[in-house]
Amino acid sequence: MNTHRTSLSTRLLAVVAMAFMLFPLLTVIPVSFTSKRYLSMPEGNWSLRHYEALLSNPDWFASISQSLTIALATSVIATLLAASFSLGIWYLRSRLATALIGLVLLPMAIPPVISALVLYFMETNLGKHAPGIGYDTLTGVVIAHVVMVVPYGVVTMLVALSQIDRRIELASRNLGASLMQTTFLVILPNLKLGIASTALLSFALSWEEVAVTLFITSVNVDTLPKRIWSGLRDNVDPSVAAISVLLISITLAVLIGRLVLQYLADKRAHKRLHS
Amino acid sequence: MTLTATLTKPQPRTAKGSPRLERGLLLFPLPVLLLVFYVLPFLGVVGWSFSLPEPGIEQYQRIASDPAIHEMLWRTMRLCLTVSGLALLIGYLLAYCWVFSPPFWQRVVEICIFIPFWISVLVRAFGWLIALRSNGVLNEGLLGLGLIDHPLQLSRNEIGVVIGMLHVMIPYAVFPLLSSMRQLDQRVLMASRGLGAGALRTFWQVLLPQTLPGLLGAFIMVFVFCLGFFITPVLLGGGQTVMIAEYVFLQMFQTSNWGLGAALSVVLLALVSALIWVLMRITRVNRLVG
Amino acid sequence: MSLDHNRDCIEVLIEKARGGQINRRTFLQAMGLMAAVPLAMRSGISWSADKPLVVVNWGGDALNAFRSAWTDNFSKATGIPVRIDGAGPTEGAVRSQLASGKPSWDVVDVESYSALVLGREKILQPLDYNVIKRDQVAPALASDHGIASYQFSYVMAWDSEKFGDNGPKTWADFWNVEKFPGKRTMYKWMNGMLEAALLADGVPADQLYPLDVPRALKKIDEIKPHVLSFWSSGAESQQLMIEGEVAVGAIWHTRAKLLAEDSDNRVRWSYDNGFINSSSWAVLQGNPGGSAPAMQFIQQALQPEGQLKLFELLGNGPSNSATEKLMNAEQLAANCASPENLKKQIALNAQWYADNYAGALEQYLTRLSK
Repeated sequence: MNTHRTSLSTRLLAVVAMAFMLFPLLTVIPVSFTSKRYLSMPEGNWSLRHYEALLSNPDWFASISQSLTIALATSVIATLLAASFSLGIWYLRSRLATALIGLVLLPMAIPPVISALVLYFMETNLGKHAPGIGYDTLTGVVIAHVVMVVPYGVVTMLVALSQIDRRIELASRNLGASLMQTTFLVILPNLKLGIASTALLSFALSWEEVAVTLFITSVNVDTLPKRIWSGLRDNVDPSVAAISVLLISITLAVLIGRLVLQYLADKRAHKRLHS
Repeated sequence: MTLTATLTKPQPRTAKGSPRLERGLLLFPLPVLLLVFYVLPFLGVVGWSFSLPEPGIEQYQRIASDPAIHEMLWRTMRLCLTVSGLALLIGYLLAYCWVFSPPFWQRVVEICIFIPFWISVLVRAFGWLIALRSNGVLNEGLLGLGLIDHPLQLSRNEIGVVIGMLHVMIPYAVFPLLSSMRQLDQRVLMASRGLGAGALRTFWQVLLPQTLPGLLGAFIMVFVFCLGFFITPVLLGGGQTVMIAEYVFLQMFQTSNWGLGAALSVVLLALVSALIWVLMRITRVNRLVG
Repeated sequence: MSLDHNRDCIEVLIEKARGGQINRRTFLQAMGLMAAVPLAMRSGISWSADKPLVVVNWGGDALNAFRSAWTDNFSKATGIPVRIDGAGPTEGAVRSQLASGKPSWDVVDVESYSALVLGREKILQPLDYNVIKRDQVAPALASDHGIASYQFSYVMAWDSEKFGDNGPKTWADFWNVEKFPGKRTMYKWMNGMLEAALLADGVPADQLYPLDVPRALKKIDEIKPHVLSFWSSGAESQQLMIEGEVAVGAIWHTRAKLLAEDSDNRVRWSYDNGFINSSSWAVLQGNPGGSAPAMQFIQQALQPEGQLKLFELLGNGPSNSATEKLMNAEQLAANCASPENLKKQIALNAQWYADNYAGALEQYLTRLSK
């Protein structure tokens, strides 16, 4: 239950910010219905041709499912690694911690173009020893994505941990709980939101990643961003806008469903309060 | 004892009979993995900066003395700081509403944060080009309302770059802020208001200090993300706002000057590290490190 | 066993062998049983190539176009599967393939000057001119390490809504913002732009090379305030021209052609004073698919039928002029490499670019990002 409330002026400002966030829909939705073969406003000539093209081309869906697989795997692995590392740091509290954090954040501070080369060399080497997990494989892409997104996960986890009251750890340990018991029974339940944020963030970063992916894949892996960016050479296909609209519709359906349920629940609670 | 004091106060060692192994198992998988998969191969890149095209420090000397590179670095810092600052401001507002509004509002904010993720960054950039051009939705709207009398040049310049990058960065700023605000003890805010502090004072003296780790985390993430960002600035900047990510791309792939590209990334790494270090000093949030 | 049935079996066997479903020994044994060994020899199935050939181009529309113009036929004729990777063989990317110690690319479609630079550094292997017939292309289009795959041109396109039928024709017109007011767009990676500036500044076309870079940059400073955007991809140049954001643009002729179609001829263009140049086939040193199949592929890709197909799909000019014999009048007029159109254009000098591109590009970009 929220006890602190936002003021009207805050909410008005937030509405402006939210309008900004949704502003691109004003172009992306109409563009997906253009009758032209390039990104443009339909200007009266609305057409479903790009949705038809999308549905009749299995390649788009192959790419979507590849990207989903990669993003899910990346998200799970990166979240596990980031959570475990951050907890380790939290328990450790020593000079070593700063050095280790520096090392772990390194991939974030290097321009992705350079990371792309670094990971490309790493993966071709990996492929020499273990074909099937290096260059141009799904596993290879997941490894590279984990490396690229895990620093962001670590920052998010460290932020979440910084606000955990250390006294709960002390209390738990003084009551004789082991480190693992303390972690799983006391600390992690307090970190749910941090873990969820890390997972979402990792998913989103992997889903959009293209700079490194372009470099460590060739003909076997064709992620959605890779397919989309290929259009930049000549002409970005409005089907790409249609994909966005489809994905947004699915998300909206889920979120609005929750919203309606929430609204109804609120009303009921409200009634009960006043009856 | 306040929460902050507890956090900053040196802690007594709790590890009675120190379960070193368990702690090590938590701590080391990630650094080891990154060491093998990234850091060691990256040392090769550091090597190039001292060896290509000839052994020596000539690439660093060039970075130190070339005004064109200085200008590019300055443009990068200026734009990335602007975008990060704005993203933090707006992200803070949205995270605040997400946490402290009634549930219905929370869901609305949620939708606004999640929707943009499904629109490819490339499509968003073209979407902005279409919306921001002189006969685009925004200019037509403003003209129609009589707010302006001739179309504004909103894209293919630095304004366009800021708008486009900001839109990508805001959701990333919201995440760490969100977890930071969720976890703070709301009774403290209530108490502050209850003791007669105004909204602004509560914000400055209670909310802001308590969410400082979240702000710092969000800043670090958004700022370094901006530094590596590439296509949105290229498309919305009219090709004339070359920043470090594109400049390094140019050196690596167009002109094959790997030594300079490598040296620049080493310099960038140093700059970013220094910036984070300074920030942690002035905000005294070594709490991030535990 | 009827003769028809026999032939049918042989065809099935050949199909299976091409598809990799049976191995060489089984195939030859089976063919031997049917007394069809000579036929087996002529089927053109190449057993050395268990590995597919990876051909790398710049992606986009070229992915499908390369497939239907070249690689499908090659696979059918030789049994060697070909995969197309649209990663974009920039000089740096090709270099990193070699630097990794384990290149995964075979044949690349690189800028003609990149073939010279990378060849000089032994990153590319010398082409086998016993397999590839060098005289299929004009002498200027072939070097030790690269042979032209197709040709394209940087041309001037303009918006007829702004200038009617009398659009800008020369590069001096491009620079003349009084007579032809409106925003401009130019190529960010510089090809042809220094030449345009020098022509606008009065340098005769036959005295362009070696380019006077400082003079060209000075001229570019003049037009820069009027350049709305420096494009670096086809999609950008299209977006700039299609809704009239810019009045005049220096863009790829392939894009210009599509823009004219998409805008119902509102956007117009011509080959006058365009800069023609070629893209080159090249083979990486130590390529995984083997030298011989790569050379074989290049020779096949130079054949007129495939070149015509690519022209029809993308508008790229054939490098093998024999292709012109297969063209109708309309196609000849649209072909950037036909003799009529060659006369209107200026050829970019690949050797100058090989020697000077990196340094000049850096200066150019520094100037335009001010």
